[in-house]
Amino acid sequence: MKPWGQSVHPLTNVARELRLSVLDMINSAGSGHLGGSFSSLDIMTALYFTDIFNFDRDHFILSAGHLCPTLYAILAKKNKIKNSLLSTYSQIDSILEGHSSSTVPGVEFSSGSLGQGLSFASGLALGDKDHHTVCLTTDGEHDEGQIWEAIMFANKYHQGNLINIVDYNGQQIGGTTNEIMPLEELAAKYIRFGWTVQTINGHDYYALQKALKIAKNSSIYPACIIAKTTMSKGISFMENDYHYHDVKKLSPEVYKLAHNELEK
Amino acid sequence: MNWKNSNLSSMREAFADTIFDLAKDDSDLYVVSVGLRPSILMDKFALRYKTRFIEVGVAENNAAGVSAGLAKSGKNVFLCTYACFSPGINLATIKQSICENNLPVKIIGFHGGLLTGELGSSHQMLEDIALMRSLPTMEVFAPLDSIETIKMTRVLAKSNRSTYMRLVRPDTPSCYPPKKGFTIGQSQILQTGKDVTVLGYGPILTQAIGLKPSLEIINISSIKPLDEKTILKSIKKTGRCLVIEDHQQIGGLGEAVATLILKSGLKCKFAQIGVDNQFGRSSHDPLDLYRLYGLSTTDIITKINYLISKK
Repeated sequence: MKPWGQSVHPLTNVARELRLSVLDMINSAGSGHLGGSFSSLDIMTALYFTDIFNFDRDHFILSAGHLCPTLYAILAKKNKIKNSLLSTYSQIDSILEGHSSSTVPGVEFSSGSLGQGLSFASGLALGDKDHHTVCLTTDGEHDEGQIWEAIMFANKYHQGNLINIVDYNGQQIGGTTNEIMPLEELAAKYIRFGWTVQTINGHDYYALQKALKIAKNSSIYPACIIAKTTMSKGISFMENDYHYHDVKKLSPEVYKLAHNELEK
Repeated sequence: MNWKNSNLSSMREAFADTIFDLAKDDSDLYVVSVGLRPSILMDKFALRYKTRFIEVGVAENNAAGVSAGLAKSGKNVFLCTYACFSPGINLATIKQSICENNLPVKIIGFHGGLLTGELGSSHQMLEDIALMRSLPTMEVFAPLDSIETIKMTRVLAKSNRSTYMRLVRPDTPSCYPPKKGFTIGQSQILQTGKDVTVLGYGPILTQAIGLKPSLEIINISSIKPLDEKTILKSIKKTGRCLVIEDHQQIGGLGEAVATLILKSGLKCKFAQIGVDNQFGRSSHDPLDLYRLYGLSTTDIITKINYLISKK
């Protein structure tokens, strides 16, 4: 979807910095959900570093709270929180909890228990019809019945100002989503539930921008963007391997290998 | 107080009427319903305030999440359904989406206790107070009767904290002193006495009114925060305490008061009336259930005599 004559999207450099930041955060904490933080990173980059939405007015609800390292890195880059805080992630005296907490400036929703964010986003979109509410869920999270309750609700209330982006990396903590609980055909399910659906490559900034603009212009239909992603995107030896859903302390060798790949 | 010869009135109706009145002046007041609109007497509200009556369907987790989101946008939200479903089903969503986000959703739990009668165990919520009082930031209330329901609803509508209020299904005696108001964190002395302090919440407490010997009956409608000062002052005077509740003894007000007494160092003879680690069951006359589960007026008299007899 790349326009002629343009080789590197301006967001590429932003995302590279963020990935390094997230890697360092998880490395210094000695644990964190690396796989999903990296698969969702380009999505969150497109949300926060384009002018499609303004999250001083529009709302971003991170339903999957374990992806918070990426959100924290973004908030630091946006000067909502101090950059020096990032190295304190999940430490006892830090405001950066292991799962996202609304006590952090710029975080609208405390999460960690999966499946709740879309309900919250629906309520928020209903109460604030002048702005858009963008929710980020994961494919694995769709095992939760509450997600489907919210999907039905958004259809009933014609929530054109609600967008749900699914970070579809095909993996969850104990295996592929297909093994754990088959989800397909997800796009067809959303359509049958009354939503508009776009399926895109969740690492293609052109595709992400276009999809977000289309979703934003929806009048009465809630909009779903199924963003096909790669778990641990950017670190080749961790990609698409569910063992990297969450990581413990990285060895100095592994950290260096990962760091070098991301710097390229 | 004998219920059969009393003027009975409906707490459900009192709540529904009060909410309807409050919505006139508060254009941000929303009711989130979970598929039980007729039973929670919200037909009138739904008809008059169509856009502020949000029907979520039989989906308690989504209801708690939507309520939290609405509250986040600045709305004054009452989440209304049976207590056995909310918080019975959606505890984790209440904890995270409402409490951890520090949002002032008012959760109204209808059909609390054995008083729910013939609907049986599945619909008789006996664990709501235990669940709700254990959540950080959550405040917990249970009015005595329809009069207090009105006063309490008006106060809670102005509260900016996460709130749980328990109501009951049948019509019950009205005996709340009309001149007394309701304040969060304060109890009301319904009857002064010197021999036994009787504490409780909800209609079951009215069973103790007028019994012998000299009872100091205190209505603990604010269960959390608890009016520790008034409770301890009375126990210091009487040296005996009976806690009455239509709820499991485990996790209820009785445990809260027992802990309070132990921490205070006061000497006190203590007894409890409440459901003793059992499920409820059906009965068309809920007072038959009180007799079966040891919560009747006769049982209260037995416990008082036991406390009096103890040296």
